[in-house]
Amino acid sequence: MRNRQATKLIFELSQDGRRGAKMPTCDVPRQDVSSLLPAAALSASPPPLPEVAEPDVVRHFTNLSTLNMSVDTHFYPLGSCTMKYNSKRNERLAALPGFSDIHPYQPDETIQGLLQLLYELQEMLAEISGLPAVSLQPAAGAHGELTALMVAAAHFRELGEVRTKVLAPDSAHGTNPASARMAGFDFVTIKSNADGNVDLEDLQAKLDDEVAVFMITNPNTLGLFDCQVNEIANIIHAKGGLIYLDGANMNAILGIARPGDFGADMMHFNPHKTFSGPHGSGGPGAGPICVAEKLGDYLPLPVVTKHDACYRLDFDRAKSIGRVRSFFGNVGVLVRAYCYLRTHGAEGLQQVAENAVLNANYLLSQVKHMLPVPQGDRCMHEFIATASELKKKKGVTAMDLAKRLLDFGFHAPTVYFPLTIAECMMIEPTETESKETLDAFAETLFRITDETKECLQEAPHSTLISRPDEVQAARVPTLKWTPESVHVTDK
Amino acid sequence: MAYFFNTPEDQRKMLEAIGAASIEELFELVPPELRLDRPLQMPPALGEMELTQHMSELASTNSHAGEQACFLGAGSYDHFVPAVVDAIASRGEFFTSYTPYQPEVSQGNLQVMFEYQTMICQLTGMDVSNASLYDGGSAAAEAVLMAMSVTRRDKKVVTTASVHPEYRQILETYFEGSGVELVTVDTTDGATQMEQLVAAVDDQTACVLIQQPNFFGCLEDLQAVSEVAHEAGALSVVSFDPISLGLLKRPGDLGADIAIAEGQVLGTPMQYGGPYLGIMACRESFVRRLPGRIAGETVDRHGRRCWVLTLQTREQHIRREKATSNICTNQGLFALRAAIYLSLLGPRGLRDTAELCLQKTHYAASQFSEQERFSLPFSRPTFKEFVVRDRDRNIADLLASAREVGYLAGVPLKRWYPELHDCFLVAVTEKRTKSQIDGLIRSLTNSNTTTAVAHA
Amino acid sequence: MNLEELLYAETHEWVHVVEDNGEKIATVGISAFAVEQLTDLVFMELPQVGTAVEAGNEFGEVESVKAVSPLYSPVSGEIVETNLSLPDNLQTLGEDPYEAGWIIKIKLANEFDLSSLLDHESYQRQCAEEG
Repeated sequence: MRNRQATKLIFELSQDGRRGAKMPTCDVPRQDVSSLLPAAALSASPPPLPEVAEPDVVRHFTNLSTLNMSVDTHFYPLGSCTMKYNSKRNERLAALPGFSDIHPYQPDETIQGLLQLLYELQEMLAEISGLPAVSLQPAAGAHGELTALMVAAAHFRELGEVRTKVLAPDSAHGTNPASARMAGFDFVTIKSNADGNVDLEDLQAKLDDEVAVFMITNPNTLGLFDCQVNEIANIIHAKGGLIYLDGANMNAILGIARPGDFGADMMHFNPHKTFSGPHGSGGPGAGPICVAEKLGDYLPLPVVTKHDACYRLDFDRAKSIGRVRSFFGNVGVLVRAYCYLRTHGAEGLQQVAENAVLNANYLLSQVKHMLPVPQGDRCMHEFIATASELKKKKGVTAMDLAKRLLDFGFHAPTVYFPLTIAECMMIEPTETESKETLDAFAETLFRITDETKECLQEAPHSTLISRPDEVQAARVPTLKWTPESVHVTDK
Repeated sequence: MAYFFNTPEDQRKMLEAIGAASIEELFELVPPELRLDRPLQMPPALGEMELTQHMSELASTNSHAGEQACFLGAGSYDHFVPAVVDAIASRGEFFTSYTPYQPEVSQGNLQVMFEYQTMICQLTGMDVSNASLYDGGSAAAEAVLMAMSVTRRDKKVVTTASVHPEYRQILETYFEGSGVELVTVDTTDGATQMEQLVAAVDDQTACVLIQQPNFFGCLEDLQAVSEVAHEAGALSVVSFDPISLGLLKRPGDLGADIAIAEGQVLGTPMQYGGPYLGIMACRESFVRRLPGRIAGETVDRHGRRCWVLTLQTREQHIRREKATSNICTNQGLFALRAAIYLSLLGPRGLRDTAELCLQKTHYAASQFSEQERFSLPFSRPTFKEFVVRDRDRNIADLLASAREVGYLAGVPLKRWYPELHDCFLVAVTEKRTKSQIDGLIRSLTNSNTTTAVAHA
Repeated sequence: MNLEELLYAETHEWVHVVEDNGEKIATVGISAFAVEQLTDLVFMELPQVGTAVEAGNEFGEVESVKAVSPLYSPVSGEIVETNLSLPDNLQTLGEDPYEAGWIIKIKLANEFDLSSLLDHESYQRQCAEEG
């Protein structure tokens, strides 16, 4: 239960002399610090961190936790983020000291069990993607995109081809263009057609010999499977380019279709989405990439290999692009992904996709009577409803609806993405929700679309705070607490 | 499958409402010729008990820091993690919530971000911090890219051989084919050669990337390095060890323009290299070039203090190809752990931890130097790790024999520094006891590998 | 400012040209319609004086909380002055977009560019269609 007394920042709880941790006494002969380190390097006093007791810390942060909606507590249909149930067993298993207490520079022979796990994970991801060469190194999906584009660049350098452009549709995640720029490419946007798929005419018009990679999210961010994907791949391949698949929406096609089979040369997985890693208010993610055989030599260092019954890290790869991060990768996330895959097996993964798609279509069938769904009656794992009619009719926006949903204990869908649809709400229920929950959500949406403009524009009414002033936050950024900070008012 | 709700009856009702005859029909959007026409080839599904047994077996074949005394460092350290950190960070409301797109129902996460940012500023003496990046290595790369953007210099970056070799390798990867020259200044006696640095930095240089304490554990003259950078109009980018700031002057007090760190030491387990915490803080005037999420204070419609994600126009979801970085996820969970850890330690706990590292490191170093077989190649002051030279030049066998008796003794340096092929890096955190240090020395000097000198 | 004397770009910048010591100087800002569409502006980056600009190219940006909008130069020439007080007083853009809210002044490289701009009436028609 929320504690209404707990409104302070940890710094405002600080009292000189309090402390939450006591260190052991020094058991080696102690020397004067000034005899060990030069005076010029030493600070006069330690950093001015808060001084609080251990119970302060526990109560403070526990109370803060109660101010969040989460998958453990609420329906969280945040489109494109695949907010599925985060399994507790995976947490306990990832925390085993044999996984969590391993130093990254331990020799291979001391971590055979972990390397076996990582090797098997590489194999499973290759099987699911239909792309045989795997790197577990990238730290997140966007980092996987960047890594794969570097792999593509290395491939074309080796071929002696000058290819400067990366293309992606206007419905793509913002990470696609940003990754393309970071990898040194010029980015070109391709239009979507009226169905929400790639506009082939626009693609043909912008395609030339300088195109290195076409990035496609399929199923796309509108929740549709772009059935032209194979044709697009043929067009790009005919020009010597590569296809990158943004795997953000893999949840819909696990065991149903494989990117490697429908034309992709490279892809990333988002284990914190598809394989239920903890979302942790923004991360950690991981961004393993799978690539076609001809690109495998360029993958980052190292990869896990198996010789007889022995696993080791292979650094001896002359064509590799090198490193994209320190150490091996986000192993803790990968261990959880492994647990997830082993829990489901082939049949279970297919059921994930089937139930995710069933739940999304069911919710679509309930929502379409209240809010138009521009892409028609069917979807994959998510769909887009638009409030543009409602906006015309009574001046309320998708954001107003999103905020009002919060009052009823539902996290809001993703709003205003993709950028191609006005007043859109992107709704992704995932497979780990019940029909009753979906019904309750739809009923709530039905109820609130009928509410007055005033009620909706003032929403949320029952949350800890009402809508924050984002304009002030951006105009006069206050990005840290200082002792002089004015405590505006108590909540 | 335990995570699904839909019973056959549910499925029937749902399909009826959809107007579809079968689940199969819902996949009509996927052309048959693009589908997989066989089941995936996967190992069989395991129930929780079987999975637990399987994972326990895999885990049991790994040596870990709970059973071996860990003297490995080089960017990842076996520091103590108080129980409170695990207890709080595993709460589902933190663990299973995502990026706070709806601030009204994410005030907990947003306040944590704001408190984390504040603590990073307190720790570093910098003006502003973001809400975290992936890890220390990618933070170094992001910092260098940011420096290039701030200075509008995209030709040259200077770093030194005493910066973590893998951080430098990341930069090499990022710069491949970009035309940016990465100049690496040599070291002398375990620290940056200042004359060479002065010669390397010119008016084309975007920044100098330096590490403090450096990869060999030695202290650099941060102030002098920053001055060299600033004289050429370049930025000083400092990779620091957060624990060391219990004793050492802060990067912000020594001229750093951008400070980055591997935040793993602040309450995150080593877990074979990740996920970790990328710390990044900078001068206020660079804030619009800072990558990653940032939380800011504001008020709600009733004037109540609250927090939101702010300055989002820097980010990829708005600015797309013009964004400051492609980063999307952050390491919120580890920023939370760092905030809890720093709250528990406070100024005095951090100072005590740093001093324990320092005292034990110096005790261990002095014990090594007393052994005939070993020498300490560098004479500079060190904080929590140091380089040891094996006069018998048989490091692989030496370290293997120490492992047999329960010691992860050190990280061999040959992989990155061929000239240090006979050296290894020893890290001593506050967790190591005198008896472990003494035991380590015994295990290494009793090693029967001393005669295996291969080449002179 | 008499709005009917202004010329407008399709990208919503306005231009007012005056002759100063034989030089044609164009003052550039953004229209009231554009300011309203952009909603609450929070940040603006001005170009350096002395920068050469080409008609149709970007010379700066304005940001609202969740959008970045490029500013396009309606004419070619050299930037001779910028409204330095504007970034700290962005509300001026909404309150007085055609006077105090001016953004840059450009010494015209040619008058040819002006012929492709819209007059007040055409621009009003465009806004009506977009609104």
